Amino acid sequence: MRAFPAIIRKELLEFLRSYGLLIVVLYAFTFDVYIAGNGINLDARNVSVGIIDYSPGFISNKMLSHLHYPQFQVPVFFASQEKLNLAIRNKEIMVGIVFESDFEKRYHTGNNPVLNLLLDATASTQAYLALNYIQHILMRFQDTLSLAPIEIQIHKLFNPNTSYSHFMALSELLSIITILAVILTAAVFVKEKENGTWDIMLLMPTDAKAVILAKSLSQVIIVMIGTIVCVGTVLFGIFDLPINGSLAAFMLLTFFYAFTSAGIGLFIASVARNIMQIAQLSVLIMMPLIFLSGAWTPVYAMHPILEYLSIISPLRYYIQGSESIFFRGTALIDLWEYFARVIVLGGVMFWYGFRKIGKLF
Amino acid sequence: MRIGVIKAYFKKELLDIYRSKLILMVYIMPSMLLILFGYGIKTEVTHTRTLIIDNDQSKASYDLVSTFEHSKYFNSETKNLSENRALNLIKQDKKDLIIIIPEEFGKHLLKGLKTSVGVYIDGSFPSRAKTIENYVNGVIYDAIMKRSGSEAENRALITINARNLFNQSLRDEDMIVPGVIGLVLLIAPAILSALLIVKEKENGTIFNFYSSSIKKSEFLAAKLLPVLLLHGINIFILFLWAIYLFELPFRGSFLLYMFSSFIYIIISLSVGLLVSIITSSQIVAYVLTLIITIIPGFLYSGMLMPISSMEEESVIEAHLYPVMYYTHILYDVFLVGDGLSASKNLFYLLILVGYATTLLTVGSLLLKKRIA
Repeated sequence: MRAFPAIIRKELLEFLRSYGLLIVVLYAFTFDVYIAGNGINLDARNVSVGIIDYSPGFISNKMLSHLHYPQFQVPVFFASQEKLNLAIRNKEIMVGIVFESDFEKRYHTGNNPVLNLLLDATASTQAYLALNYIQHILMRFQDTLSLAPIEIQIHKLFNPNTSYSHFMALSELLSIITILAVILTAAVFVKEKENGTWDIMLLMPTDAKAVILAKSLSQVIIVMIGTIVCVGTVLFGIFDLPINGSLAAFMLLTFFYAFTSAGIGLFIASVARNIMQIAQLSVLIMMPLIFLSGAWTPVYAMHPILEYLSIISPLRYYIQGSESIFFRGTALIDLWEYFARVIVLGGVMFWYGFRKIGKLF
Repeated sequence: MRIGVIKAYFKKELLDIYRSKLILMVYIMPSMLLILFGYGIKTEVTHTRTLIIDNDQSKASYDLVSTFEHSKYFNSETKNLSENRALNLIKQDKKDLIIIIPEEFGKHLLKGLKTSVGVYIDGSFPSRAKTIENYVNGVIYDAIMKRSGSEAENRALITINARNLFNQSLRDEDMIVPGVIGLVLLIAPAILSALLIVKEKENGTIFNFYSSSIKKSEFLAAKLLPVLLLHGINIFILFLWAIYLFELPFRGSFLLYMFSSFIYIIISLSVGLLVSIITSSQIVAYVLTLIITIIPGFLYSGMLMPISSMEEESVIEAHLYPVMYYTHILYDVFLVGDGLSASKNLFYLLILVGYATTLLTVGSLLLKKRIA
């Protein structure tokens, strides 16, 4: 079995020498993760507010002083309802607040004061959160606590400041691992087809199984190294992501998972004739897998049909497992389910891809 | 421009797209993306797996527990566990939310003494954690207010009369689907037009164009018209998905939708044309197009963050990309319905036309009919 390490060495060398590919892979593991972690934030921040104030303005101004950065922009005053409506329709203002002329009188006499809000709900998430902020502000303003002496002590575990960058960066890394393990593995085989060296490979006095295994292992190694680089520089270095579980467990899970993806890559390689087809096929196969995985929406909140389908997505268990390791700090023993599912599903996928490509030898 | 030449070339391109199975990409990818995003992204949180630990067992605490049990947002379960055991359930990803009602909760409430409820939320999914926090606050305050406040006191409180314009029930689909249409129609035509030209470069057949008597304008027309036509059908398909599958309202004019979408496709295929000029292999063209379309398409569509909430530099960047103008019109035709009577829509439409002509002109000027 001298051929086995030789093939791995050859593939790694070839990867290092194809500068274009090297740059794309490095970009994916560093900048891409950085952009995702930095750019995407679903919080309602810097919300634009428009005001119409028909009331004398003592209470309303006091109330408005509570709307401030970072949640709200400085309120803009409008002279008439039409102008405010126009601004909301043109998406210049997201929240409109209207104080009626009898608002202050009703407030002082305790006669059902009503605050009118107009929300641009085309961005429904932000509209909902903005409404909640305003409710909070009203509660604090009126000192509701004196009426209902209850204090809700909220502890957000694992991520007390609701930072989005940690979550988004980790999700992006997991997606990148999936995509690259698939595409790189498929490309290693199809490149031989494209360059016409496939026949030479068949003529080699080596066991076909050893060739397939060595070639896939070489790409898994590349993905693992990329993962280490990303975790070290971007996740720990830039985003200062805390890890509550064991890093070794994460690397081990990644290793098994990379083989799963490599299995999908083998399948694609057996069907595709050139690199272009790999790109297209992998988009068609990977997009649904990534969406079914719960990276965007937790699985149990999905449509029931999608929820059942997601049982076959190894990415689902990989993502849940990795999130548990990084954020929840789950004990090793409780991780067994994720390991078992990734290994079983991965085993089936790798075996299938292996058979499929093996027929070409 | 000779119509006969264009017609022949055009036919060849269509046949090529059909035979190379690119046609599958043209029609499967946009619909797939729309359906996956439309179903896949849910910012509304339902079925939060909740554990309530009721240490009080009084009338007041039962009332509170039953409000949680009757809410569709929570799948609640009441159990008596120690705090540590309960927290372990969150660690194992078996529960998302734990509510601990202290002893003497009911007594304190009756006497008007201060009491506190402990809430633990799994924060590893930040947007969900935030939404759950808001739900819990709302439910508990509502329940307590109903109990304790006297008639007069309740009347004195300010009530909020909120109207959600354009999307009354805050449906996620209404927010996501127009944004995704804007994203898809930016990516797909760009990839197709880039591939059609770069393919010839990679296979060497571009020399036919260099050496034959076909004019540059004819070549461009023959390459770009099929893209415009094929994706023109996609505009309509995406519209059908949006209306019938995702049940979006359509409040604007269909004509405006079609017209602005066609203009937008011209912008997109011009981007593909520009990519094809600087690349020479299909795979590089493919990856490059994805990179320069997906990220701005996401960030500046207004789907994740309204343009009005952006900070200084992002506002400028958003105005530089054509995505924002098109999605503004899209949200208008689907949800708002002002059409061209709003001067901003007209202005944005003109900007799109400006983009389309500029990009197309620049692209055709840079395309050289000789070996560089």
